Amino acid sequence: MSELLNTLMQDARVWQGHRHTQTSQPAEPTGYRVLDNQLGGLGWPRGALSECLLDAPGIGELHLLLPLMQRVCEEGKSVFWLNPPHTPYAPALAREGVNLDQVVLIHTEDEGDFLWTLENCLRSPVTGLVMAWPGKLASREVRRLQLAAEAGSNVCVLFRERRYAEQNSPAALRLELEPGEQQGLKVNVLKRRGSWPGQRCSLAMAQRADLAFRETTRVVRGPWSGSTG
Amino acid sequence: MLWLYLHFPHLVLDHIRRTREDQGALVVVEGSGQKVIQACSEARSQGIRSGMRLKTAISLAPDLGMVRADETQEARILEDQARWLYRYAAHIVLVPPDGLLAEIGSLQKLYGGLPAVWQTVEQGLNERQLNAWIGIGYTPLAARLIARAGKGECTADKGHILRSLSQMPLLAAEFNEKACTRLQRLGLNTLGEVFDLPPGELARRLSPELLAYIQKIQGTRPDPRTPWQPPHSFRQQADFVQEIEHTQGLLFPLQRMLSELEEDLCWRQQDTDSLRLVLRHRNAEPTRLQIRTSGPEHRADNFLNLIRLRLEQHSLSAPVISMVLLVKRFLSREAPYGQDLLGETQDLNEAWHTLISRLQARLGDQALRQLSPQADHRPERAWSASEVLRKTGTPLTPAAELPRRPLWLLKGPQPLTEAPAVWFSGPERISGGWWDGQRVHRDYYIAQLNSGQLAWVFRDAREGWFVHGWFG
Repeated sequence: MSELLNTLMQDARVWQGHRHTQTSQPAEPTGYRVLDNQLGGLGWPRGALSECLLDAPGIGELHLLLPLMQRVCEEGKSVFWLNPPHTPYAPALAREGVNLDQVVLIHTEDEGDFLWTLENCLRSPVTGLVMAWPGKLASREVRRLQLAAEAGSNVCVLFRERRYAEQNSPAALRLELEPGEQQGLKVNVLKRRGSWPGQRCSLAMAQRADLAFRETTRVVRGPWSGSTG
Repeated sequence: MLWLYLHFPHLVLDHIRRTREDQGALVVVEGSGQKVIQACSEARSQGIRSGMRLKTAISLAPDLGMVRADETQEARILEDQARWLYRYAAHIVLVPPDGLLAEIGSLQKLYGGLPAVWQTVEQGLNERQLNAWIGIGYTPLAARLIARAGKGECTADKGHILRSLSQMPLLAAEFNEKACTRLQRLGLNTLGEVFDLPPGELARRLSPELLAYIQKIQGTRPDPRTPWQPPHSFRQQADFVQEIEHTQGLLFPLQRMLSELEEDLCWRQQDTDSLRLVLRHRNAEPTRLQIRTSGPEHRADNFLNLIRLRLEQHSLSAPVISMVLLVKRFLSREAPYGQDLLGETQDLNEAWHTLISRLQARLGDQALRQLSPQADHRPERAWSASEVLRKTGTPLTPAAELPRRPLWLLKGPQPLTEAPAVWFSGPERISGGWWDGQRVHRDYYIAQLNSGQLAWVFRDAREGWFVHGWFG
């Protein structure tokens, strides 16, 4: 019996509040050292769900995943975009060094198809990263997706609205994203495996619009009068 | 030349029994539906004989399965048999309605003797659960007569073959009725006695045609036959005695058809990426399904999985009376292109095709898209979506000289409802499209909205301010 208990205690999934266990779960570095440090030196968990909760697009949420996307494409694995709210812009992705041959865009009509597709992508060995915008999801369905994610060893990131932050979720990693100072991205770790949540950090994201190292704005007024700016 | 003749005493029955799960009594009735032409062994054991009136047969076996004889169907089934036989023999002649001739003299060396050839053919027949009588002769007609008389033996001995031909009664020799009566009136009873008559007398007293027929049996007159050419497509049909109402019921016959396809593709050394499935209904337009795989494929299991997915989505509009599987597109099978031991392996490639095919089968071809940049200055035209294809080429090198663009592009420009909090850079003037009528004349700015979103906004010369993208 005690042997069984010992194995359980050593497993990072049994979490003891009083100490930080060095977890051995497989993960992919996020590419942002500050964030990796906050996540126990790991990054995006593989074979598990991650959730990014944000209010509106355009705050740097894709750039958060870009280093991983580039790495996955280099490894020859595919990146699936499932029901994105807008069109991923091909010239911008190409400029960032993402191999577009590995990027597959999927649109599903109903929720049943969505879950089925996501499960299939997650179980396949060719998948490196799945990014999905599920809209409404029942907690039971998130659980089902978590099981599907465990069957594979891919990173799966669900983008959901911030109001779901209070709802509990079986996802292994939950990040709350907010726009920060100087076009940065404030990341609030709501949940992670093997340790206390609540870490906060701010990532510099100004480079996504070439705004780095620029003190003053560089706007030249248009030739028209009465511009809203 | 040595010929092998296959006589199929009840080919239609065999064909239909193969697609049935239950093995009940089955008969073939003539076109008018009055008389039984063929009866399977199960029906025969219940006392049904060919030539019997249908009413009698039904009273003997109330749950009798009936199939109406149809010439085109018979011809098609016979050709199906030629197709598999073609794997073993090159020179095949169709002898409608129920016979196949194969030249086997040249095969003896390949297979290692006549018994081996015989065994191969018998094995092929058994695999397909076909009943056939085999005959061997030195002329096509001799082989046919021996086979139809059921006297076939595995021997290439000329004397032996001639002896069994000679002992054949005149009625079994397939003379026309008039000639047969005249020969019998002459007091002749066996074919051997006709062979002994002097040819000149035979032609003078009976008819030159009869002499020609005799000589063709004996091999003293040439009897050229046009060889059968296999078609360049694959076609299999399953006919059902009882109409099938649920898609589940189609899977059993499909399984057999697909394994036949797999065998055919293996034998052709080719793959395919699209199947056509036609479901025929009694009173409605046939349902046509196109099943596509994302890459070359030949395995029956994979096809079956895709078809199962499709059939789950698609409920039958009417009961199915027959099902046709067609393959017209063949792709040459490529050698595995694993570049090196550590590179992309065949397995990954295969898994990719399996996944994409599955997704396409359920969601439709249009649901999956791949992106690529296009050479155009107008942002909405600078990208395109295309069908998903596995590309093995080297990826494009990141073009740093491309202008800075947002990662999200809105499906159409949205009006800017608030004054942006901060302006960053701009304007970048994009003007073009005068050549195709889609004129664009805009000044683009990067600005941050009050909500913290970094937006790509533009001002159109006429219409005001719009958001066109988010720097995600």
